[in-house]
Amino acid sequence: MRTNLGAALLALLAAAGLTTGALLESTGPWQWTFIAVGLILPALGWLLAARRPEVRYGWLLLATAVCFGLGILGVGLAVRGVGFGAPLAAVIAVFYGLSWVFVPLLFPEGRLPSRRWRPVAWLAGVAIAVHFAGTALAPVVPGGSVEASAPAAPAGAWASGIGQVVTWIMAMVVLGGLVVRWRRSERPERGQYAWILAGAVANQVGFVLLAFFNVGLGLPVFGAIGLVAVLTALPGAMVVAIVRHRLLDVRVGIRGSRVLLVFDVRPTVGEVLSSLGPALEGDPEPVAQLGRLASAVRTGLDTRWAAVTLADGRRVVSGREEGPAALTQPVRGGLGRIECGPRDRGRLYDEDRRFLEALAVPAGLAIQGAGLATRLVNAQEAERRRIERNIHDGVQQQLVALIAGIELARATGGDAETLGLLREQARQTLDDLRELAAGIHPSALSQGGLVEAVEERCSRLPVPTRVFAGRELRAERFPDEIEGAMYFTVSEAVANALKHARAATIEVRLAKAGGRLSVTVRDDGQGFDAGARGGLATLADRLDALGGGLELDSEQGKGTRVNAWVPVDG
Amino acid sequence: MGETIRTVVADDHYLVREGTRRLLEMSGEVDVVGAVGDADELLDAVRRLRPDVVVTDIRMPGGQWRQGFEGIDAAHRLHEEHPGLGIVVLSQYSDALFALELFKHGTEGFAYLLKDRVGDLDELLGAIRAVASGGSVIDPKVVEGLLDRHDVRGEHEALTPRERDVLREMAHGRSNGAIARALHLSVSSVEKNVNSIFTKLGLENSADVHRRVAAVLAYLRP
Repeated sequence: MRTNLGAALLALLAAAGLTTGALLESTGPWQWTFIAVGLILPALGWLLAARRPEVRYGWLLLATAVCFGLGILGVGLAVRGVGFGAPLAAVIAVFYGLSWVFVPLLFPEGRLPSRRWRPVAWLAGVAIAVHFAGTALAPVVPGGSVEASAPAAPAGAWASGIGQVVTWIMAMVVLGGLVVRWRRSERPERGQYAWILAGAVANQVGFVLLAFFNVGLGLPVFGAIGLVAVLTALPGAMVVAIVRHRLLDVRVGIRGSRVLLVFDVRPTVGEVLSSLGPALEGDPEPVAQLGRLASAVRTGLDTRWAAVTLADGRRVVSGREEGPAALTQPVRGGLGRIECGPRDRGRLYDEDRRFLEALAVPAGLAIQGAGLATRLVNAQEAERRRIERNIHDGVQQQLVALIAGIELARATGGDAETLGLLREQARQTLDDLRELAAGIHPSALSQGGLVEAVEERCSRLPVPTRVFAGRELRAERFPDEIEGAMYFTVSEAVANALKHARAATIEVRLAKAGGRLSVTVRDDGQGFDAGARGGLATLADRLDALGGGLELDSEQGKGTRVNAWVPVDG
Repeated sequence: MGETIRTVVADDHYLVREGTRRLLEMSGEVDVVGAVGDADELLDAVRRLRPDVVVTDIRMPGGQWRQGFEGIDAAHRLHEEHPGLGIVVLSQYSDALFALELFKHGTEGFAYLLKDRVGDLDELLGAIRAVASGGSVIDPKVVEGLLDRHDVRGEHEALTPRERDVLREMAHGRSNGAIARALHLSVSSVEKNVNSIFTKLGLENSADVHRRVAAVLAYLRP
């Protein structure tokens, strides 16, 4: 916000100086044209600095525009005979220096092309300062002659001349460098340099025309063309280069019937998140979710490719992966990382890194969710396979045996004893089937509720077991998934207590308080390594999916305590 | 009655094993020389007892066998070691996948029957006799499933109900004469149907009993 204000104030200063100065000089139609053309530079500087404050180039353009505006103001004041007008007009020297040397040199991001350009930059900076100081000491009054009355005029005139020549030589060096950069660059960059190079050349040609006019060698039209060229060539070329090549994420967009300059071609983090959210919800397939995430990163940052890699090595790529990643962002909690390749045009800025950092948070949640979903699906599959095996090896086999027995009895004319045995076999099969059905979903749970089912389960245990539950809890029913998860947690915990811990007594407590339904299973067995959670791991996932959790507290020789909870209404 | 067929029974479920053993012995045609509970014991029993036929469960947990395929893998091993041995695999699966797994190296001397055939002694004895003489049998229910699958895929011209009946009998390894008796048809009518089946399936006619089953299977294989 503050940078926006700063940029606006600088642009306003430049525009006000330009307008006031030009109108002080004269008010003819030609002056208005001059003002209109002169406003391009501050406008461009303001747009860039306000929209991309981290890119120094916009600020450079603003500084150039301010020098120009102040210089023109100085000229106007000098024409009106104001004393400090002439020294102020000397700021024009800085405008020339900046637009000749630094504007083309630092294009497009406000950085030197390489360290080797440092001496040029320093030399140019000093030359511009000398040019400015000299001009200020020996102001050129309108009409073209040096004001001889100024005491330091001769020295100033020398300094101004030398500074200007050196600046100009540096400008030529920069121009040469630009030609080299243009010739060496690959296709997309080549177009950008071509535009800025053309702008710089047109600027110089305009300056030469202007110089001819100023020393009285050319027609007035030379002066007009030269001035327009000096004022418009560079900003115009920059506008074209920036917009055409989407530098600094600016392009021309058409909305309705209007043609607009569109900034922020990329969506904001908020936009990406709000479109990603429903997409993730609508796609329950974990891998597809990661794919959507990768594609959101890719479109969000406008990169060639983006990839989401999980800690287990799974990797989903959007786009065609080539070369090393330009940005890598670890995902919260060490679950994996997001990577993206380079852009087709332009580089990735700090802002893009921040964008990726912001996206890594929901990405972490999505990955976590995807992992949980996969584990739950796997657990469900494993459970189904277990049930299939139990049916296959148990009840189905018993029925086969029964059929064989009946066939035998039929063929031999079975006696009462044989038939009695067959009836017992049939009863046993029925019992086993009942047990199996209870393992899938106990009828006590669907009919009588959680407490009823837990009591039923515990009443069939071979060790003394107590179930404690409040009276009001006994009558209360919860959603199926909550009752199921809690019941099977108890069932697994008591099974563990019997199988692994060899408990002598077991205690189960059910309670509801503070919006939580919780169950604690405690035994006096030998305890076991808390790392080996067995079937409880699956149940922990199930509880996790319901927003709850499971804690296992076990120590060798000191018994085990399993505590599970889920959030419930009321 | 001629010589009895010496048989070893293998099943991990005690009641099933004993039921099958007693049923077969009661028939008088089969002499059950051994009854074992897993694939390793089965291999050992066959080496020691040299039976004519093995009746084995498809699934007998334990040992270094592919889980769920213990009976089939043991059958293949036995067939390699004892080429003349007939093997009847009893299975709970009507899914053709398991039958095709059994028949993947050839059909000679193999039968794939659903387990509830223990309630149909004639069927079981028929399969034992067939494999003892090098023939092969697939349970009609499995053939039915295979045919349905091929109808779903629409890969060939659908068979008429009569042709399906004949094909099912063929899968039992029966001759044209036996099929004629079973379906109450004339032998020439059965021949006509067989020819029509082979034409529709694009197979050449062959008199060889187990080769006909093999041909049917080869065609039905997914």
